[in-house]
Amino acid sequence: MNTSQDTMAAKSAPTQGPDLKGQCAPSITIKNMGVSIGRYDILKDVNATVPSCKQTVIIGPNGAGKSTLVLSLLGELPHVGEIIFTPPGPRLGFVPQRLDFDRHLPLTVAEFMALGRSLWPLWLKVPKRLREENLSYLELVKATHLADKPLGSLSGGETQRVFLARALMNRPDILILDEPATGVDVFGEQLLCEILESFKKDFTIVMVSHDLATAKAHGDWIICLNRTVIAEGPPADIFRSDVLAHAFGLHQSILFGAESGVEEEPCPCCHEVHGAMP
Amino acid sequence: MGILASIYSVFGFLYEPAFMQRAATALFLLSFCASGTGVLVVSRRMAFFPDAAGHTIFAGLAIGLILSLPVDIVVLIFGVLIGLLIIYLLRHSTLSSDTIIGLVFSGGVALGLALTSRYPQAQGSVNRYFLGDVLTLDDRGIVLLLLLTLLSILFFLFLYNKLMLSCVAPANYRTSALADYLFGAFLSLVVVISVQAVGVLLVTALLVAPAAVGRVLAKTGRGMFWIALLVSVVSGQVGLWVSYLPQINTTTGATVVFCSIAIFGIAVLIKKFIVLIKGKGAFKNLAGK
Repeated sequence: MNTSQDTMAAKSAPTQGPDLKGQCAPSITIKNMGVSIGRYDILKDVNATVPSCKQTVIIGPNGAGKSTLVLSLLGELPHVGEIIFTPPGPRLGFVPQRLDFDRHLPLTVAEFMALGRSLWPLWLKVPKRLREENLSYLELVKATHLADKPLGSLSGGETQRVFLARALMNRPDILILDEPATGVDVFGEQLLCEILESFKKDFTIVMVSHDLATAKAHGDWIICLNRTVIAEGPPADIFRSDVLAHAFGLHQSILFGAESGVEEEPCPCCHEVHGAMP
Repeated sequence: MGILASIYSVFGFLYEPAFMQRAATALFLLSFCASGTGVLVVSRRMAFFPDAAGHTIFAGLAIGLILSLPVDIVVLIFGVLIGLLIIYLLRHSTLSSDTIIGLVFSGGVALGLALTSRYPQAQGSVNRYFLGDVLTLDDRGIVLLLLLTLLSILFFLFLYNKLMLSCVAPANYRTSALADYLFGAFLSLVVVISVQAVGVLLVTALLVAPAAVGRVLAKTGRGMFWIALLVSVVSGQVGLWVSYLPQINTTTGATVVFCSIAIFGIAVLIKKFIVLIKGKGAFKNLAGK
């Protein structure tokens, strides 16, 4: 499978306006999948499904193999078992975890968006048509005002949104995000989640998170991972104290478990359950 | 050699002697190749790569002399091979890039010293490459530079974006192996050819200093490239002119490099000054976040 974003963009993505509706919103079936380095099993006997046109959140503690699973989905890591896309051969968009790039590199957001898509070298020009197209994608993630700012001057949330816009330019059938909330403040995360929510009808979203609140608020399908799949299902089934206690220990299960009696009405402003202690 | 003569004559309004016109042409071409390459080197954080590739020249030189092959060609081929080796190690080793480059650097120098100590006839050429001299370049050197310029234009047209993208998010937008190896080979070529003008000791500065000015002053990727090019051309020509002044009369390569370093110093001061003036605004931005 082709996971290199540039080649994908160059080959298959047409270059008009941002009509995001993919040809298909594939589902993923993972069968007996495992990844090991030497004798050490990072993932073992993973069996899970990612439903079509839904936002699937993979949750799990640190070291559970979440990012490993994502890399395998992207085809960047060799694994045993099967990862089946139905229909096969989808275009993948990827927003990476923790963007620690060279923040003093003089490069504007618009230039970054054009890199790898423009046939003109950066030092000559960014074609006007491409710039307009870039702006329309930035608008989707509410980042048009950032177009001429240096990429390195953006906040964590803004950077995430710009990388999201870049991933969207490839017109993904499946959008994969690895810990998009890392280094992003509460409002930034909220905005990102709202934006993702609006894309759900267009393609399948897979998001890795260790933040249970995000998973509970925005996930339609939860895969609870700790080296293998501990539980999967709709949020109502997963956010039960027994399941969470198994994966995350007692504290989280008290906060987020539906049976523990702290389930409250979602906050009217942000639709999140803030989860006060009993 | 009519074409070459007419190229040289472009600089006829500045210099009377033919060797000076040739040197001005050489520095102009070199400035173009080195500045764009330097921008990529600085952005990709490979500033020591030119140093390592440059120093392996001694090994190439010794091998050429020992096998009695044409030295210039052996040096070029050997440099490219070393460039490819460094890229290979960078891609396939868990060691950090400074360790790898340091190892290759020392390995190249050690091999060169060992071989040249065994064959004393190599000593003279060692000095030539150590300090370099743009004034003694012959027509063949200029033809080589013209070819390098052509290659640079092609390289900057087709691979610049790809290589730049990987600076932003190396993990996500990984460069293809081909682009990486091509860059290694191209960079080595630029280095080995530049060495003949400014010498091994100063080749890094020739590439890195203009790009550093660009990085300090520019706000856009495009700006960085053009500022680097401007600084490179200006320091090349000013350096040559100053070194030729009878009352100054210094080594050209060193003067050129010193010029670009001086411009870098001025750029840093200007930047500081701008930040100082805009200080209030910068603080506002910070508070707004």
